[in-house]
Amino acid sequence: MKSLLPALFLLLPCPSLFAQEKATPQPLPAVKPATEGKVWGALIFATDDASQLIGSKEKAPAHLGLFNARLAKVFAFKHFEILGQHQQDIFREYESWVVPSRDMFLKIDSNGPADNGGIKLHLQVWREQQVLVKSDAILRSGSPLFIGGPKWKNGRLIFVLSLER
Amino acid sequence: MKPPSEDHDLIRWLDGEMTDSEIAAFEARLKDEPLLSKEADELRALSKGIHEHLPAEMKVPHADFFNSQIQVRIAQMDLDESRRKGSGNQSLTVTLLTWLRHPWFATAGAVALAILGFVLMRPETQSSGHSLILSSYTPGLGVEASTYHNIEADATVLMLDGLEDVPADRKISGLSVHSSDNQSKVATTTLFDATGSPLLVISRDAVGHPLFLTNTPRG
Repeated sequence: MKSLLPALFLLLPCPSLFAQEKATPQPLPAVKPATEGKVWGALIFATDDASQLIGSKEKAPAHLGLFNARLAKVFAFKHFEILGQHQQDIFREYESWVVPSRDMFLKIDSNGPADNGGIKLHLQVWREQQVLVKSDAILRSGSPLFIGGPKWKNGRLIFVLSLER
Repeated sequence: MKPPSEDHDLIRWLDGEMTDSEIAAFEARLKDEPLLSKEADELRALSKGIHEHLPAEMKVPHADFFNSQIQVRIAQMDLDESRRKGSGNQSLTVTLLTWLRHPWFATAGAVALAILGFVLMRPETQSSGHSLILSSYTPGLGVEASTYHNIEADATVLMLDGLEDVPADRKISGLSVHSSDNQSKVATTTLFDATGSPLLVISRDAVGHPLFLTNTPRG
């Protein structure tokens, strides 16, 4: 009998092993989640001192037209540089992240289509692990959202969110 | 006995409407009734004078007399109509001026202007064609958010003031994300660059803060 005990102990974990085999994750469905639209988000550095620019070659999408000139109408700086940018689908059921930089980024939840066009969104602007602002907004194509963020190197960080056509 | 003026036989006798026997009988009466006889003489003289001074028939002035009279009447009616309209316009002007002079007009005008101003200046609604900030909340102490639409930039601005400055020596690293893949079952999102290479995996910690998983060192 004593010789059988080790064998019984060895068999005890077996059911859990079988259970683990049964619980093996199934392959994720290939179906893409439903989306409300697509946005372009960017982190901009605005400054009067050209020597502070980091030399980024990022370009704004054509649908925003004279992007720097539009920024200059709001923010009184001479130079605007795109530090990072992100094209992102707005998921109907899930949160969407717009991360042009790990230093300042955006979480978006869709609240559905808006009357007269656009998308109703709940926005959270994050700076690392801190929420700077929570906002309910309607984003419409051709009318970007300029978010004036914190100051940096005698300039200012700006987050831009635009609904693509 | 009837008074002479009411005696129909006298009228019929003067107008020659009696028969011979009636004439004989009436003229017998004239002999017997002097008052009737006097009345008959006077009326006969009057009738004779009328017939002598008035022609039996009046000639039409000219051949187109009736047509010309109709045209004159139509012209008169047109003139009356035009005068009536002119009078109407004048009365409308007078009425308007009278209305403007009313003391309550200033109040009503002010209310109308206020309503017009409210319609034109009211807060943005869904009917506008640009993006809108419906509400905002800043959890950070001392941080304030203000929002407005800049017409020249055709952009909606959400300005955050009171934020702590980013240290000048802090390097801000940018990404260029072209696509993403959402793994809802494991609550992660993978971001890819233009070549399809993964840049970053985003997940959430126990309190909902974002976690960035990457092989690339920060900075």
